[in-house]
Amino acid sequence: MATVISGPALPPVQIPRPSYRDHNDSLGIRIGVPFRIGFLAKFGLDTQLGTLWLGTWGVASVMFFVAGVFVLIWAGISAMQGDVVSYVRYFANVQILPPNGLGMAPSLAAGGFWEINMILWAISVTCWAFRCWERLMRYNWRPYLFFAWVSAILLTTTIWVFRPIAMGTWAEAPGLGLNSDLDWAQNFSVLWGNLYYNPWHMLAIFFLFGSTMLWGMHGATILATSAEGSHHEVAEIKDMHSGSHKSMLFWRWVMGFNANPKTIHDWIWWFSVGVVVSSAIGIISTGWVTNDWYVWSVDHGIVEQYGPMTRSAINQRPNAVPLELPLYFPAPPGAVATTNGDKGVTK
Amino acid sequence: MLEFESTYRKPGNTLLGLVIGRDPFDFWAGRYYVGLWGAVSVGAALLGTFFLFFAVGQYGDWDLWRANIHPPLREYGLGVAPFAQGGAWQVVVVLASVSFIAWALREVDICRKLEMGFHVPIMFCFAISAWLSLQLVRPLLLGCWCEGFDLSFTGHLTWVSNTGFRYQNFYLNPFHAFAIVGFFLSAMVLAMHGSAILGSYNTAKDPVLEEANVDNFWRDYIGYSIGEYGIHWLGFWLAIYTLILSDLCILTSGPWIKDWVAFWQWHLPWFPQ
Repeated sequence: MATVISGPALPPVQIPRPSYRDHNDSLGIRIGVPFRIGFLAKFGLDTQLGTLWLGTWGVASVMFFVAGVFVLIWAGISAMQGDVVSYVRYFANVQILPPNGLGMAPSLAAGGFWEINMILWAISVTCWAFRCWERLMRYNWRPYLFFAWVSAILLTTTIWVFRPIAMGTWAEAPGLGLNSDLDWAQNFSVLWGNLYYNPWHMLAIFFLFGSTMLWGMHGATILATSAEGSHHEVAEIKDMHSGSHKSMLFWRWVMGFNANPKTIHDWIWWFSVGVVVSSAIGIISTGWVTNDWYVWSVDHGIVEQYGPMTRSAINQRPNAVPLELPLYFPAPPGAVATTNGDKGVTK
Repeated sequence: MLEFESTYRKPGNTLLGLVIGRDPFDFWAGRYYVGLWGAVSVGAALLGTFFLFFAVGQYGDWDLWRANIHPPLREYGLGVAPFAQGGAWQVVVVLASVSFIAWALREVDICRKLEMGFHVPIMFCFAISAWLSLQLVRPLLLGCWCEGFDLSFTGHLTWVSNTGFRYQNFYLNPFHAFAIVGFFLSAMVLAMHGSAILGSYNTAKDPVLEEANVDNFWRDYIGYSIGEYGIHWLGFWLAIYTLILSDLCILTSGPWIKDWVAFWQWHLPWFPQ
């Protein structure tokens, strides 16, 4: 195992070919003193913690993220009329809801907090993408990690930005809060027919379960052959040894097909990116391609019609249906409205 | 055959050979290894497929999206149902279970032959546990085979939807929530691992330096590199964690919990009301 699991913590290996980027970034330093947690070696995990590259983009990202967390807590406490104990007690149920319409919210409580949070966190993840790109270029790597991160951002912006814009109101986006998230997911799958009949949702679940399955297969295969060095994957791609031979032959004999140390990582990269890309397509097409996936599936012969269905009523539904966000819990005593208008009010 | 394959294709070291001293199934068919468990598994799968299509023919809807082998009606409880009223489902589920378990034993045979660890068959057992939880254990706990899911493309989607709403709001099932966390985490860690390998290989002249670069990259990026062995350990346990949580998620719904909304209507006794 190339992983060093004992001895003093090592400073980072000097990378040949110094980059101009290090000298252009005034915050471009490695911080911290690396130290070891010996306990991790019991599991074969690398024991070294640190150092961490600071970098302007990383600092900006963390600052905006922390600012967002502060605004979230502030919004939550103010929703409970300044009662911190109630905020902690009802933490799971406190929700910061988006405003109606696509404009500026009329007040902080009526969606302004939500908008500020969204802006801060959008800036934060974008800065993190730049940090990712900057590090990848510094290491002369191909930008796979950058594109994986960007596709994750694609999904969140589809949920919180693109689809609300397409539907004409920020109220289509999930609120911020533990149960707020869960309620949004529940309502979203009920209001638009039956989301299980959404083919992009089917594909997303295929990729999601497939990702876990591939981790099971790949992780188990490498652990089973690591005694012969199959976990040195970067080196094995260049020059295969018995560990990789066995990994490949195992699957060839089991299912008649095998990847190799390089192509297995193509599979896992595309499966994980497939999750977020097909989710994004499934989300944006809900309410736009159809406002009822059950009707859509009956129309396309995928699902049998279970019973009478008032087609005219369904077809007359407006394209943008305001989401009602029912509370599945008794409203906390003393809670004030966190949004304007007639919906999503915590009584 | 792969160019290095002949040195690994050795007879012997199978489970059947271990028990009776010889193994008439110990051969390859093309690129596939056969073995006793391969014969059992494929035999059960073919037989199950035959019954599946036979039942589809009986039910009369040949549309591949909608063709539905439904579980027995409620009146049959845990008994045997007539073929057209769920007996087909029972036959197919039994044959599929036999096929899956034989497939796991076949993987054990191949692991023994290649003298590698048994991690893959162990992992596959956890996958089988999901199937058995849904189709065997939960129906047994609820006292009715009708609790199994339909063997059908859209039929099983409808089943998932109905089962979720039957317990009010499945998103409030904590095992469901933590299983989803496991699924999304495994997708994220998978992307990070794939990106690191695909991004870094063949970027330096020296492979040892390349691997050191992977550790350095993650230390720079997030302050910790789990290591090239550790990342596979993490993925292995993430998958097992997710499957265990999925099992708990469905096994608790029905036998123990009827309503996941009401489930949360409790408070800690020492917490101020």
